[in-house]
Amino acid sequence: MTNEELKSKIESDFKDKILSVVLSGQKEVLVTVKPEAYIALCRDLKTKPDYDFQHLSCLTAVDYPKENKITVVCHLWSYKKCHQLTVKLDVDRANPKAPTVEPIWKAANWFEREVFDLYGVVFEGHPDLRRIMMPEDYAKFPLRKDFTDDGFIIKPN
Amino acid sequence: MGDQIVQWVAGLLRQAYAMLGLSPIAGILDRIVCAVAMFGFVSVFVMFLVWMERKVSAHMQSRIGPNRVGPFGLLQTLADAVKLTTKEDVHPVKRDKIPYFIAPILAFVATFMGMVVVPFDNKVVVADLNIGVLYIIAITSFTVIAILSAGWSSNNKYSLLGGFRSAAQIVSYEVPLVLSIVPIIMITGKLNFSSIVQYQQQAGYWFVVPQFVAFFTFIASATAEANRAPFDIPEAESELTGGFHTEYSGVKFAMFFLGEYVAVVVSSAVAATIFLGGWLPLPFFGFLHLPGFIWFMAKVLFIIYLIMAFRWTFPRLRVDQLMDFGWKVLIPITILNILITGFVVLLLGKGA
Amino acid sequence: MTDLLLSQIKPGGESPFGTDEYVVNMGPQHPATHGVLRLVVKLDGETVKETMPVLGYLHRSIEKICENRTYPQCITYTDRVDYVSAMSVNLAFALATERLMGLEAPPRAQWLRMIFVELQRLASHLLWMGAFAGDIGALTPFLYGLRERERILDLFEMTCGQRLTYNYIRIGGVMIDILPEFIPKCKAFLDYFEPRIVEYEELLTYNPIFLERTKGVGVISAEVGINSGVCGPSLRGSGVSCDVRKQQPYLFYDQVKFTECLQNDGDCWARYRVRMDELRESISIVRQCLERLEPGPIETKLPPILKAPPASEIYSRIESSRGEMGIYLVGDGTAKPYKAKYRCASFSNTFVLDQLTRGWKVADIMAVLGSLDMIVPEVDR
Repeated sequence: MTNEELKSKIESDFKDKILSVVLSGQKEVLVTVKPEAYIALCRDLKTKPDYDFQHLSCLTAVDYPKENKITVVCHLWSYKKCHQLTVKLDVDRANPKAPTVEPIWKAANWFEREVFDLYGVVFEGHPDLRRIMMPEDYAKFPLRKDFTDDGFIIKPN
Repeated sequence: MGDQIVQWVAGLLRQAYAMLGLSPIAGILDRIVCAVAMFGFVSVFVMFLVWMERKVSAHMQSRIGPNRVGPFGLLQTLADAVKLTTKEDVHPVKRDKIPYFIAPILAFVATFMGMVVVPFDNKVVVADLNIGVLYIIAITSFTVIAILSAGWSSNNKYSLLGGFRSAAQIVSYEVPLVLSIVPIIMITGKLNFSSIVQYQQQAGYWFVVPQFVAFFTFIASATAEANRAPFDIPEAESELTGGFHTEYSGVKFAMFFLGEYVAVVVSSAVAATIFLGGWLPLPFFGFLHLPGFIWFMAKVLFIIYLIMAFRWTFPRLRVDQLMDFGWKVLIPITILNILITGFVVLLLGKGA
Repeated sequence: MTDLLLSQIKPGGESPFGTDEYVVNMGPQHPATHGVLRLVVKLDGETVKETMPVLGYLHRSIEKICENRTYPQCITYTDRVDYVSAMSVNLAFALATERLMGLEAPPRAQWLRMIFVELQRLASHLLWMGAFAGDIGALTPFLYGLRERERILDLFEMTCGQRLTYNYIRIGGVMIDILPEFIPKCKAFLDYFEPRIVEYEELLTYNPIFLERTKGVGVISAEVGINSGVCGPSLRGSGVSCDVRKQQPYLFYDQVKFTECLQNDGDCWARYRVRMDELRESISIVRQCLERLEPGPIETKLPPILKAPPASEIYSRIESSRGEMGIYLVGDGTAKPYKAKYRCASFSNTFVLDQLTRGWKVADIMAVLGSLDMIVPEVDR
């Protein structure tokens, strides 16, 4: 399936679950999902044979302080169909909460711990949500854009 | 030739005692002189072995090995020993003091004591015990107590694991070790090492020929007894960081280290005596008229080289596989060997 | 921190002998954890009840640093993400940036990249082989592996002056063209190297003790492997076709002939066999690249300041020595990445360690950890 076909198929199949689906300038299919339909969409993408996204390649987040949101980004890959999809979920920056996809892809366990550690997104239902990189007693979320730790970051220029 | 040298040395000693007026206690003094001589000889030999092991491993790994200290790096071990003795003795605060202190000494002494019954040449032996075989088996088993107490007293989980592994291993491999010597005793009817060699001299063959199975099981069990790779799970550097001697440093570590090599020497010496004819010359090489001592040492070095080659080629067995190998492979083989040997001895009417 | 972790492991023995379980801390300094990985292992005697990896001892916040550097500056940091296979990470970042900005490197540069990345794969697998054998107690293969790796590093040094962190593959091309004597030297090396693989195989592959230690140990089934995000040679050992070079070809991998090495058992031995087979495949790829190499420019003309298009993003994957290496870049119209995420194979491969070692012996932790080919800077970044 080419990315154009994938895009139109997702558009028609999951009309009620997604906010938007676009083909990016780099020809990747980006899906922005409705928060309440996130888990259902992910499960469908994994189990439906037309999509067959068995492999959660990457799960990370991007911080947008201006729009007051943190976007959780999942990159999916299908080993059988060889196509790629990006699923995005916007969460509120002040109170970042997202459902966990750990029951769907076990690989999400550590990826979500990392996002929790570095962005502070709480994944509800995650079996073992602890800090993974930073010390357990660390209070800040380093990858947020407004992170400051005086004396540690030396900005060039 | 060997006994002539012994006579000559004994004569010299007698003269010295007489000059010092110590003739009444000559018997005790003889023992002390023998013990010191044996200790000195084995220590130097072990130093050479450490150098040899490093050279052998270097050769197998396409490296050069030690070549800086002394000719061909021969004094490298001496330099290491000096380094170890001058090191600060770091030890855990919450150790169990007495066993922690005794363990390395015991490991060192117990293995050294094995050497006294090994005949280096005809009549050149410190103590020609008539139960030499039993003695050596009993005395080398002391190592397990040393290793256990080292593992326990260090107050370290790695040490403890190493100690327990070692206890299980040495106890298990003691059995095939003894069982592989039994056929020889059945044939010769002697527990004395010199008599075993003399029997081989009279019979005209070495026991490695009829008893090659016992020879291989003996070498395997002896390697395990000495905690050498591929049976080095009590130390298991990549698993237990160092096993029972994780918490030892300086002189105490050096004692464990020396003890391991002496154990290898003792095992090889026993194997050379029992299976390879001790001080007897190689067949067809008798015309060289070399002293028996040289032949004996050559055989010991050959077996030590075998044990070293194992270490640098094989991966390490896992603890349960090690037990399986001991109980399910070695022991049945040795028992079968004993049965067959007994049958043949009865059939031929030989033996005691 | 230790107390927090230990408090989660509840004591209480279930064994028939009424023994207690105890907790052993392996690492951060331990001879078998390949760096500063820490494993909190719950043991019952010799049997592993639970393995809990504790990460972060080598966390250098490379992703945060990259947000404050321009794209070309970031390349330097990519070397440090995986210092055993630095070329692969160089390539991953350069490719991601090029795709983000719509650039393309000239053909000669692409062939050169392939040569160096495949040589790097050889070097990385050789080091892995030695370390793996060392983990299970055979110390000699390590030296054999390093002996050949030295010659690969000589080739790298000859070209870019570095032996470990190369910074050679740049955005839009490569740093510098190869010397004229590189090609004969490289061919000579390949001819010298190919028979050596037989030597390693003689030493290890059918060694009875090696088979005992690796056969049937740490079995990853295909489903568990895919679901847990295992990738690269470790997953190919379970028979899953997952080579990015085949599935999503980059550079000129669609123009060279090579087979994807697969094994079906999913145990440590299968993973070992996959990597040994990959050595042969990489040799063949390098040979083909050397044949196809033609004169030409080695870099495209870049604008003085590289800027990503606003609100652009790319997730670009390559097959690094350890498996799938993904770079997620978000551009915001400036010269610096708004977000740079490194998806590293070691990170997801280390995750399965706990599942694979439960119920096995202590020594198997080392065998499994070694066979997964994890490297700590990739896990912690």
